[in-house]
Amino acid sequence: MPDCNKNFESEIKEGKNLRNVKCKYCSSLILTPSTGTFTSFEFNLPLMKQSKVNDSNPDTENVSLFWAVNEMYTFQNVGFSNTVGDNKYLTCADCEAGPIGFHDIPSKKSYVALSRVQHV
Amino acid sequence: MAKKTYDLLFKLLLIGDSGVGKTCILFRFSDDAFTTTFISTIGIDFKIKTVELGGKKIKLQIWDTAGQERFHTITTSYYRGAMGIMLVYDITNEKSFENIVKWLRNIDEHANEDVEKMILGNKCDMSDKRTVSKERGETIAREHGIRFMETSAKANINIERAFSELAGAILEKTAGREPGDPADRVYVDRRQQPSTTKSCCN
Ligand SMILES: Nc1nc2c(ncn2[C@@H]2O[C@H](COP(=O)(O)OP(=O)(O)OP(=O)(O)O)[C@@H](O)[C@H]2O)c(=O)[nH]1
Ligand SMILES: [Mg+2]
Repeated sequence: MPDCNKNFESEIKEGKNLRNVKCKYCSSLILTPSTGTFTSFEFNLPLMKQSKVNDSNPDTENVSLFWAVNEMYTFQNVGFSNTVGDNKYLTCADCEAGPIGFHDIPSKKSYVALSRVQHV
Repeated sequence: MAKKTYDLLFKLLLIGDSGVGKTCILFRFSDDAFTTTFISTIGIDFKIKTVELGGKKIKLQIWDTAGQERFHTITTSYYRGAMGIMLVYDITNEKSFENIVKWLRNIDEHANEDVEKMILGNKCDMSDKRTVSKERGETIAREHGIRFMETSAKANINIERAFSELAGAILEKTAGREPGDPADRVYVDRRQQPSTTKSCCN
């Protein structure tokens, strides 16, 4: 289970992220406390490590815990990929690790997967 | 609405001939980086970076553009709203340097009048293949009253510095003005653009 973030509830305070959200690999700051709203729904997010180079059909996993961000400039540091369907994928702005989440173009909302980042 | 987490928002653009290294400047494939095949295949559209300058929290939104001739109409649509432009050439490619003049004319035609410009001579790690001296870069920049720096996306030389200098120059210019409305952001569909990032800086 990708979302086996056992203590994820302790990261939520009044529906928002209690601590800083950082890149797992280089510690680049993505969100400051209280800027993401906890949201849960199912989304098939491509894996950070793909087993093979396969543009059209990447390996994905079902992710369901997210920090929702309404306005993209709320992010401290983040990269937006080119458009794929209705989405842009989010990456670390410093080491390009990703996808750490996705951006939904019609609603202009962004979602950072709790399991793809660290909380410190 | 949530409180604003920044004081100013600057939109920056990377332009220049094809192959000079614009994508690498935005999307560095450093050896220690955790680069995934998935992200490098689809490519990065833009980055948001937060810097602190003069006691202000500044959001930089940095856009990459395609240098190839056939994408120029799309590229110029990115000029609108850009507050800073990085004009990049390749120090090992004479032609890309000569084209700086052409790009400057392009900026005059399509960008905001008060856009802040900076010329970057990229690939300065390749000294053995250099054909454009640093002096020539400095001269053309001086002639046009523009800042200049030599950079290497591959060796990570002057990249961060170039962005903070450009941001600093815009800050001086905009001091006292209100931040732009972030809602004016327009998506430009670039799906037709080929992915050029794969071979980047490896
Ligand atoms: N040695 C060296 N090679 C570089 C550097 N920056 C880019 N390159 C190489 O130059 C080539 C082109 O780089 P890109 O970043 O794709 O060029 P671009 O300006 O984005 O080109 P277009 O997207 O076609 O406009 C790639 O093979 C890179 O590996 C650098 O600083 N040093
Ligand atoms: Mg490119």
